[in-house]
Amino acid sequence: MTRITRLLTLGALLTGSALAQQPTKITFWNFLGGGDGARMKTLIDGYNASQKKYQVQQTVLQWGIPFYTKVRTSTSVGQAPDLISFHLSRISGWAPANLLRPITTQELSSVGLKQADFFPRLWNAASYQGKTYAVPLDTHPLVLYYNKDVARKAGLLDANGNLKPMNSVAQFTAALKAVKDKTGLAGLAMENHSTAYMPWRLWLTMVEQQGGSIVTNNKISAGEAGKKALTIMADWMKQGYMPKNSDYPSSVAQFTTGKTAFMINGVWEVPTMVDGRKTGKLPFDYGVAPLPKFFGNQDTWGDSHGFAIPNNARKPIPADRLAGVMDFIAYVQKNALTWAQGGHIPAYLPVVNSAKYTALKPNSDYAKVSAANVTYDPPGWYSGAAGPLEAVSIKYFPAAMAGQLSVDKAMSLFENEANRLMAGRPKP
Amino acid sequence: MRDTIPPQARAQTGIPRGTRRRTPGGPIALLMLAPFLIAYLLFFVFPIGRAVQLSLTQSSLTETGPFVGLSNYVQLAGDPDFWASVLHTGQFALYTVIPVTLLGMLMALAVNRLVRARNFAQALFFLPFVLPVSVVTLLWQWILNSSFGLVHNLFGTDIAWFGEPATAMPMVALVTVWWTVGFNMLLFLAGLQNISREVYEAAQLDGAQGWTAFRTITWPLLWPVTTLVFTLQLIASLKIFAQVYILTGGGPFNSTQVVLQYMYNTAFQNLDAGYASAIAVAFFLIILLVSLVQAALLRGRS
Repeated sequence: MTRITRLLTLGALLTGSALAQQPTKITFWNFLGGGDGARMKTLIDGYNASQKKYQVQQTVLQWGIPFYTKVRTSTSVGQAPDLISFHLSRISGWAPANLLRPITTQELSSVGLKQADFFPRLWNAASYQGKTYAVPLDTHPLVLYYNKDVARKAGLLDANGNLKPMNSVAQFTAALKAVKDKTGLAGLAMENHSTAYMPWRLWLTMVEQQGGSIVTNNKISAGEAGKKALTIMADWMKQGYMPKNSDYPSSVAQFTTGKTAFMINGVWEVPTMVDGRKTGKLPFDYGVAPLPKFFGNQDTWGDSHGFAIPNNARKPIPADRLAGVMDFIAYVQKNALTWAQGGHIPAYLPVVNSAKYTALKPNSDYAKVSAANVTYDPPGWYSGAAGPLEAVSIKYFPAAMAGQLSVDKAMSLFENEANRLMAGRPKP
Repeated sequence: MRDTIPPQARAQTGIPRGTRRRTPGGPIALLMLAPFLIAYLLFFVFPIGRAVQLSLTQSSLTETGPFVGLSNYVQLAGDPDFWASVLHTGQFALYTVIPVTLLGMLMALAVNRLVRARNFAQALFFLPFVLPVSVVTLLWQWILNSSFGLVHNLFGTDIAWFGEPATAMPMVALVTVWWTVGFNMLLFLAGLQNISREVYEAAQLDGAQGWTAFRTITWPLLWPVTTLVFTLQLIASLKIFAQVYILTGGGPFNSTQVVLQYMYNTAFQNLDAGYASAIAVAFFLIILLVSLVQAALLRGRS
């Protein structure tokens, strides 16, 4: 052996051993911005530091149509990442199109996860025709935020300083009236401007609580229950219980500056309250309660983040990367307390039942009731977060609340357009 | 191919007339053109062809489906949403094209009269055009916010400017005019500065000043710039998308949904690429038609 070959061999050996120590890279696309993004980064950094075998690299994209379009197109050409964040409300549209790779029970148990460890409603939302297409991470339903100072003045608190139970539309409306009569403030802050999603979410909640269903046989079937729900929301506004034309930031500002007694919003605003109290920017004591039982049951609109594996065209995920993906998912589940600080209710029961979570306030005040009653958008390709059906609803529901359209007119326009949409199928 | 070398030049190069129709620069010229040509074919001609092809199929966002002939176009012809969106696009063009042309000219005339502050005024009027659409829309959303906005605080109004069917489209137009007028002003300024001072001096000797000078000199000599601005603006206005997408989302209840947004929603929200392509092709033809009519009308004046 000449010196040169010896050197080369040595070099090859060195690189070889260096390569052996290189961690397997897991690519992870998500749409988590703001505080959620910061908390997910903490989890990823924590995971990468906790072991040497895998390294998760995230790419953050804009949520909604941009995210789902990018994942859809890149999956169909085999360029999708190993792992994505996903709204469980979209499973029924994506699973039949073979865009997601089913996850088997064995794969789950290989990292110590099993169905019994998750809220049943969330687990069901992650499956389609008996197969699991995602691992639920959390649920984020609507909740009722309340200003304790204002509510006390309006006589709505019990001896412990918590909201007295409200079990009907009449009781909730009476509470709004009491706020207006006794304090002069508006009762309820809720996003309701012309492109607001919140009216759809509350409407869905109220229809489901009446035992109604939104969709039957690919047709809108909300009927009288749907009309009733929209009428109630429009009436609250007509009575001046709800500030008009609120876009999302305005609705949050109305509540956090003490101009309303209540706010109906997702749990994702919990950090705003927690941080506001810490920094002294929130000038009042607040509480968070599950959304009231307006009708027969306490079904509440919600959605869930989950982890899913794109079904890359002709390029199934290799075994080593799959093992890393599963390992990372399990790590996040076990450390979901970090995630829970975003207000989201973890899907993983061992975390929700832990003493640490019980001590996490206000989260544990609403978590169990809300998660047990969470209701998703109806299944279908047109359904789910930022999907076509929601897009149709935002055209007409806010307009009905603002009095631009009568409830009957808004409902018939909504039903016509939605039925036209749903009659078409994703093609081919 | 016509021989373009002037006789004097040919004498110098010594190429005998008629022996070489192709100049020696031909292949080199082609080579230098190639990058553009390839990009043009690849990113312009090919996609148009694909769009036409897709519009004859029933396709999803990611898969080309079966050939269905003209059925997408038949459906389009009877689609009230499509025709409403064409109407809204026209409405937007109506609200923006003439104001932005006239205002651009007026601002150029005013700025041109300034001596000391000309550069400053020019920069001031041009500034909004530098901003990206997201910044412009965010700015106006704040100004016009019905409960926290500047207008609300100054005048005590609580109108949801982008949320009322009567005000939504005019407000989107207003934002666009504010945003883009500076660029047209620059074009008019360039035009104004091309008019020789001597023409005005001669006219002044004949007693033509002020309005007369404008009517008989400035206006006719600015006409080429005016038609240019008008044409550019018309095409830009027909292609309106971003402002509507961000400011109103096409609402309230579809009253500001323009063609490109309808196309975007059809393709990316409803996942119907075949039908979206038909919308695109039909709209392409509409714009082509409008431009031809407009060019014919304006040519008559020049």
